Amino acid sequence: MAHLATEVLVIGSGAGGAVTAATLAEAGRTVTVVEEGPWIDADALEPFSLDEMVAKYRHHGLAAALGNPAVAYAEGRCVGGSTEINSGLYHRLPDDLVAEWQTRYGIDEFTPEALASYADRVEGRLSVAKVPGAPPASSAALERGATKLGWRNVEFARVFSYDDQQRGTKQTMSRTMLPRAIAAGATIVPDCRVQRLTRQGDRVTGARCRRTHPGGGVERLTISADHVIVCGGAVHSPALLQRSGIWRNIGNGLKMHPTIKIAARFPHPVDHGDVPMHRVTEFSPFIAIGGSASRKGHVAMALAETGAPYQDALAEWEHISTYYAAIRSEGSGRVVAAPGLRSPLVTYSLTDADLSRLARGLVNLGELLLAAGATELHPSVVGGRVVHRIDELGSWWDQVTRARANLMTVHLTSTVRMGENRERTGADSFGRVWGYRNLRVNDGSLIPDAPGVNPQAAIMAIATRNCDQFLADS
Amino acid sequence: MLWFEREVVGALIETPDQHLRSSIEAFVDGSLRDMPEHLRAGVLGESVLLGAYVAARRAAGRLDRDDREALLHQLESWEASPIGVLRSYVRMMKSLVVFAENELTVEGAA
Ligand SMILES: Cc1cc2nc3c(=O)[nH]c(=O)nc-3n(C[C@H](O)[C@H](O)[C@H](O)COP(=O)(O)OP(=O)(O)OC[C@H]3O[C@@H](n4cnc5c(N)ncnc54)[C@H](O)[C@@H]3O)c2cc1C
Repeated sequence: MAHLATEVLVIGSGAGGAVTAATLAEAGRTVTVVEEGPWIDADALEPFSLDEMVAKYRHHGLAAALGNPAVAYAEGRCVGGSTEINSGLYHRLPDDLVAEWQTRYGIDEFTPEALASYADRVEGRLSVAKVPGAPPASSAALERGATKLGWRNVEFARVFSYDDQQRGTKQTMSRTMLPRAIAAGATIVPDCRVQRLTRQGDRVTGARCRRTHPGGGVERLTISADHVIVCGGAVHSPALLQRSGIWRNIGNGLKMHPTIKIAARFPHPVDHGDVPMHRVTEFSPFIAIGGSASRKGHVAMALAETGAPYQDALAEWEHISTYYAAIRSEGSGRVVAAPGLRSPLVTYSLTDADLSRLARGLVNLGELLLAAGATELHPSVVGGRVVHRIDELGSWWDQVTRARANLMTVHLTSTVRMGENRERTGADSFGRVWGYRNLRVNDGSLIPDAPGVNPQAAIMAIATRNCDQFLADS
Repeated sequence: MLWFEREVVGALIETPDQHLRSSIEAFVDGSLRDMPEHLRAGVLGESVLLGAYVAARRAAGRLDRDDREALLHQLESWEASPIGVLRSYVRMMKSLVVFAENELTVEGAA
């Protein structure tokens, strides 16, 4: 059995973990990052391709929160975590939510001004930019439809940098924060899963891990650490804490943005290499409308959702792009590490209000796409009507039912909520797990509720804030 | 993959190209293996039950053994079933096959 000692052990290398590692290493701490997934060169695989899905997604992207209906979800499992596979869209946490959460969860030093200063810091270390020049056709369609209907819309900035030829490179954690951490002396250990934390009284002493070697051999590794910061994401951070015997307010209160989709056919070809950066904010914060990855495989999957024949549409797949309506859900779920199972059980209950919000989102999205010039709309609803005209949209109201709606999400949060209100939270205002002096969480799990916007900006700003507090405390 | 899963995947694949068919099967097989184990256990259970049901219908002469269309028709009816796990079984298999078939190219698969 191998052994390693470090001052700070960071578990997980995604949005939360990489920011934590870079911030603490640059402040002179000895940091080791342990990541379950492999280290894959960020340029090696085409974004959103099947190869990327196999190499970088946990479970090949095939996981679901059980419930009625089940909600499929995706997460990254590689060095850089979900930032390696995400769309790079970047949106600061809305000020009104900051104020609401501050009161509801009793979060200290959590004000719009304070968070804005941390967001400034994150943005200074990444590159956050809008597309130079005209947006791609799939994104322009959102803008065009919204403008015609008089609906608010914005072009989101993304964590992208652009060269002289306006070619964009997504600034994932493996391209930004992790190299910074390494330059400041941090060690990254890929292919290494933390199985459980070791504890003594109110202190965590380290972790027990299984490390897979490139040839396939497996080695046990124990790590002793003065401080442990868990950043495994909203599903795996609570699961690891539970496997380690820590349960109080851990894993309940899971939040997500359930999403319903439309494959929209246009009379002209649309782009397929990127993801639309426009968002329709007319119905924010409860419904957000945007676009998804639309390679041929995604288009085919989306067309197949209704169950109706789609070969004719697929023959013209270059004219088709996929769009979504995502809701800020009232429902909630749980993550439970069941004994003997490697993967945690994830459940989610949608409320009836969530379902009607999804139906409304689908109808709004349909209206927008028709206004943008789409000629045929295929909803992600089994038996859902393929719509060509505005007067046909009404049929979707009755078709979005628990039995027929196909839902998915890529935004999961809130399983170790932060704040001083001990009834509602699993960690204090800065992510320190209740009952433990040197154990912290610093990832999407801390976000106390679904943010209604893409979460990575909030995760990174809050992680930076919590690192400052850690440095001040220790 | 269990025999019934292989049969379902085989029926859902459209291309006659053998290399491509094998690559799609390998992708689906890898994805099923990589599923969270409780979900995989559920899918395995369903595959056994649905496989037994199909085998019984074949034995009773109600379903032709080599009739791809008949199996596809059966899958369609399960996809529209009021039973959630049946619907999601078909949806999952179909999504995996459709995605792989449209992402893998004949050259890539060869
Ligand atoms: C397809 C997709 C598209 C998205 N698009 C956007 C977008 O455009 N904008 C946006 O803001 N957000 C987007 N998101 C969401 C965003 O990427 C996540 O919210 C964010 O990355 C979560 O950060 P995290 O640190 O909580 O977890 P992650 O980034 O998921 O990182 C967690 C890491 O911890 C590792 N880990 C877990 N358990 C262990 C263990 N026991 N031992 C060792 N390592 C472990 C995991 O393998 C993983 O690499 C998207 C997500 C996906 C999947």
